Amino acid sequence: MQLKKINENLEKEFAGRVSASLEDNIIHVTGELDSWDDVIKACTMASERYSKTHVVNDIRFTGAEIPETRVPSLNDKALDGKQVDVLVIGGGITGVTVLRELSKWNLKLLLVDKEADLAYHGSGRNDGQVHCGYDLSKGNLKHEYVLKGNAMYDKVCSELGIPFKRVGQYGGTLSDSRLAIKLFCFVKKHFHGIKDMEYLSAKRLYEIDPNLNPGLKFGTLNSSVGVVSPYELTIAYGENAIMNGAEISLNTYVKDMEVFDGVINKVMTNRGDIYPKVVINAAGVFAEDVAKMAEDRFFSIHPRRGTNSITDKKTGKYVKGVTSVKYHDPNAPKNTKGGGIIHTIHDNLLLGPDAVETYEKENFETRQESINVVFNKQEKACDKIKQSDIITYFTGVRAPTFEEDFILERGRAVKNIVHLAGIQSPGLTAAPAFAIDMAELTVNILKETMEVTENTSFNPVRKPIPCLKDMPLAERDRMIKENPDYGIIVCRCEEISKGEIIDALKSPLTVPTVDGVKKRVRPGMGRCQGGFCMPQVIKIISETMGIPEAEVLKGNTEAFISFGKTKGGEIDA
Amino acid sequence: MVKEMTCIVCPNGCLLRVEQDGEEITVTGNTCKRGETFGKTELTNPMRTICSTVRTVFSDIEVVPVRVSAEIPKGMIFPVMEEINKVRLSERLGIGEKVIENVLGLNADVILTSNILKEEV
Amino acid sequence: MLKYDVTVIGGGPSGLSAALSADRANAKTLLIEREASLGGILKQCIHDGFGLLRFGEKLSGPEYVYRDIKAVYETDIDVSLLTFVTKTEKTDDGFILHLVNRDGVTSVFTKTIVLCTGCRERTAKQVKIHGTRPAGVFTAGQAQNLVNLHGLMVTKKCVILGSGDIGLIMARRLTLEGAEVMGVYEIKSEPSGLSRNIAQCLNDFDIPLHLSTTVKRVYGHDRLEAVEVAKVDEKMNIIPGTEEIIPCDALILSVGLIPENEIAEDLGVTLDRFTKGPHTDNSFMTDVEGIFAAGNCLHVNDLVDYVSENGALAGKAAAEYVKKERKYAKITIDRTLGYIVPQEIDLTTDLSKVEMYFRSFSTVKNAVLEIKIDGNPFMEKKYMVVRPPEMEKLVLDLSSAGLTENSVISFGIVKKEGDING
Repeated sequence: MQLKKINENLEKEFAGRVSASLEDNIIHVTGELDSWDDVIKACTMASERYSKTHVVNDIRFTGAEIPETRVPSLNDKALDGKQVDVLVIGGGITGVTVLRELSKWNLKLLLVDKEADLAYHGSGRNDGQVHCGYDLSKGNLKHEYVLKGNAMYDKVCSELGIPFKRVGQYGGTLSDSRLAIKLFCFVKKHFHGIKDMEYLSAKRLYEIDPNLNPGLKFGTLNSSVGVVSPYELTIAYGENAIMNGAEISLNTYVKDMEVFDGVINKVMTNRGDIYPKVVINAAGVFAEDVAKMAEDRFFSIHPRRGTNSITDKKTGKYVKGVTSVKYHDPNAPKNTKGGGIIHTIHDNLLLGPDAVETYEKENFETRQESINVVFNKQEKACDKIKQSDIITYFTGVRAPTFEEDFILERGRAVKNIVHLAGIQSPGLTAAPAFAIDMAELTVNILKETMEVTENTSFNPVRKPIPCLKDMPLAERDRMIKENPDYGIIVCRCEEISKGEIIDALKSPLTVPTVDGVKKRVRPGMGRCQGGFCMPQVIKIISETMGIPEAEVLKGNTEAFISFGKTKGGEIDA
Repeated sequence: MVKEMTCIVCPNGCLLRVEQDGEEITVTGNTCKRGETFGKTELTNPMRTICSTVRTVFSDIEVVPVRVSAEIPKGMIFPVMEEINKVRLSERLGIGEKVIENVLGLNADVILTSNILKEEV
Repeated sequence: MLKYDVTVIGGGPSGLSAALSADRANAKTLLIEREASLGGILKQCIHDGFGLLRFGEKLSGPEYVYRDIKAVYETDIDVSLLTFVTKTEKTDDGFILHLVNRDGVTSVFTKTIVLCTGCRERTAKQVKIHGTRPAGVFTAGQAQNLVNLHGLMVTKKCVILGSGDIGLIMARRLTLEGAEVMGVYEIKSEPSGLSRNIAQCLNDFDIPLHLSTTVKRVYGHDRLEAVEVAKVDEKMNIIPGTEEIIPCDALILSVGLIPENEIAEDLGVTLDRFTKGPHTDNSFMTDVEGIFAAGNCLHVNDLVDYVSENGALAGKAAAEYVKKERKYAKITIDRTLGYIVPQEIDLTTDLSKVEMYFRSFSTVKNAVLEIKIDGNPFMEKKYMVVRPPEMEKLVLDLSSAGLTENSVISFGIVKKEGDING
């Protein structure tokens, strides 16, 4: 789109309050607005979908104060003076996949994340769907990598010891136009490379899932769609990278960078100054902030919140795969994902997410309205699932650019940075694939100044923590006889043993918090939500790590569970 | 003087009406004799039992439950709590054994209410 | 494979009583407990008031339950601690239970099962509390466990949602340990706990009780920093404009108990939609022959004395169980009752002392419980007051009631006529 046309449109809509300018192949949108929806609208009007010329949002937003980035209370010099070949900023799926791919070379690798665990933001707060890409068209990075990534999942998950299941995505429609759906399937399959795209008659649809509401006319099936636990996968990637020589430093946030002549020399953190040869920006919703510190800001991230609900495993029987109903809603906003119903890898159902634009990058609050929106939509697919079946809900914040494609490239103004930005759905699916290419790009950048050799001892296999409840009885019996802690059930809902919890605490990336243990081996993920097991988990963490129970945290450095002991007991009796 | 109160002697929780006329106290609304006694003392000298824990020197069980062996004046609840909070138990005692004898001279002991320190797990 | 006549699942008060009474009836009995010691939730209920009905004493939870634990260890009952039932299978003449414990995976055969699995607490998300997910949101039971068994101070300044007995007890416990309880909030227009607990746990310590008020959201990224409370109307919908932010460091939830019946469901036991516990007959046998239920997994009780009593009845019935043709009379309630247990009467049993438990749906003063058989008045019982938080126990003699197969015994509560003051 011509700049002139953009400005005409902006003028018409905002009466001079905002305007766009083009400089160094970047569209800067400037002005002042008091409504965040208007900010989004203005920047979207200036942007072109999938374009490499990005919109940078320089509008002064006066409607509210944009909160400061949350940072851990920790301050030390643990990393001060550290020289690394590659510094990865961000411990989500994007950062860890690249880290692991880079560990195939003999490099000094460090990943930092400001949170107390990996997968704290988007990667720990999504629906875990491995997409087929049928909603994408050819000619953009999302499409390219969703297909490549999907195909890699069986291998990657088996290497990393993570459960993955191709449950298939099927959906029905209330529309009468059989021809339109058949045509859609034909085009997707033959022109967009969606090889598993299939048309379904109503009869076949109900054969696949008899619990769908009656009345659906036709449907589609994509049998390559799978489910995975996104945080388990992220942690597994991180652990495998550590096994192969990489370092991960949590509770570590990047404060600033020293950039000279288009080169990042120094990265300042709360744990000291780091001297990297190449920086990888995998900072999710903070990718624009990192780009800005690197003096290479050529895109903007606009956070988009989504809330998912998880229902009791008892409802798992209602939906076997991933489903939703297509129906035409002329009022639905363009980027709204009404979400779907997903049979998760742990046999719960997940409903959602919705999509709401927000200026708050890390506001993970849930609201009842979001739950209602999702349930109102999903009851059109299967009305057997009720809000009373919910055991928990959570909010994640997506990190899209205004062009809604991934950014996977070397810095434009800075030579030693690689941006992996705008990674949102289907980022989880695509990450294993783009990580390979981005690792290669990074190695090539390093090769400009150093010799890089292959890590011949690279081991792609991560041995998972055993999951006793899924084992055959004889195997389980043998394991318990070797380690009786495997026979002590701590989490009654998910049937997790003390031994598994101790294993999680002794894994390559120890996160000795209640949430850290929960993400790794699931105590507290069940219907009682830790009501019974949380005190026991605290005790096991305390015993295993040799710290007082009063010091065990829920998650981040400030998430303390208790204020110490109830009483002193100074006098012996 | 007339006072309405909930009897706390048993789970029935009868609503008592306690009337004082000089030395004479009459209780109505009670459904048992204990209720009458409760109403009278509640008006003149309310008594309560308290339950809490004391700290131990043992790392496997850091606190054990205790209670007072007899009712104490309501106003003495927090002073007695202070005494309880000072204790650090260094013996593996069991149910009914005294942790503090005649606490604050109130003719009540602080006694253990659990055998947890004696259990072999 | 070890063989038992009766296997009791759960070593809390109902399980202990069930095992003891099965043993007294000469059944070879196994008692399975998940935790490291017997006693169930009473281990952490260190407040007093237990045992008034059963022992005529005011005992603390550990003291009350210790009497049964001691008795169990004096019998031949096999006790299996730290043992978890992972799977159950029905066979022609009984059940096979797969057990996991420190020794490995084992299986036992049992002719009958008594489910004494207790209940769990409803969580924040189940009562639609929104906002962030900070540390500092505890169920009352969790807080009780951390304070009483771990000696951890979980709060300095908290709000309690729910006026159930555990919430009230925790208000006093936390106050005694030095915390400030800002208030107890209750969405209903009446308190859920016993009146005496309102008196001795809240009034004694000047803790305010806010009725028709609920907690809507929590604030705080890492540790809870505040809660938002709001008034609700008669339909329990939030009244806009009544929201108030209360700074505090913890939210303690006492918002209801849910009977734990996952094992029952696996075995195909039908659950009652009112109690959320198994549908049983007057021997507390479920609709799966040979499976009995007692205590809080059958229905949520207010008093442990009743739990013990009920466990003993179920244990005895399980010990005496024989497979036979049975004939049933049905029990129905109208909307004046919250629930009734049992839900049917086995006419082949002794009907001279049928124990029943019920709750009213709402508070009625000068109430009359009307019992009809096939529409004809059978008996009436008067109550000064019936309240939903207070379970009522009935012992009926139905031996001469002329019950036949498919008779319907209906229960309803009416207000005593001529009384206009109630």
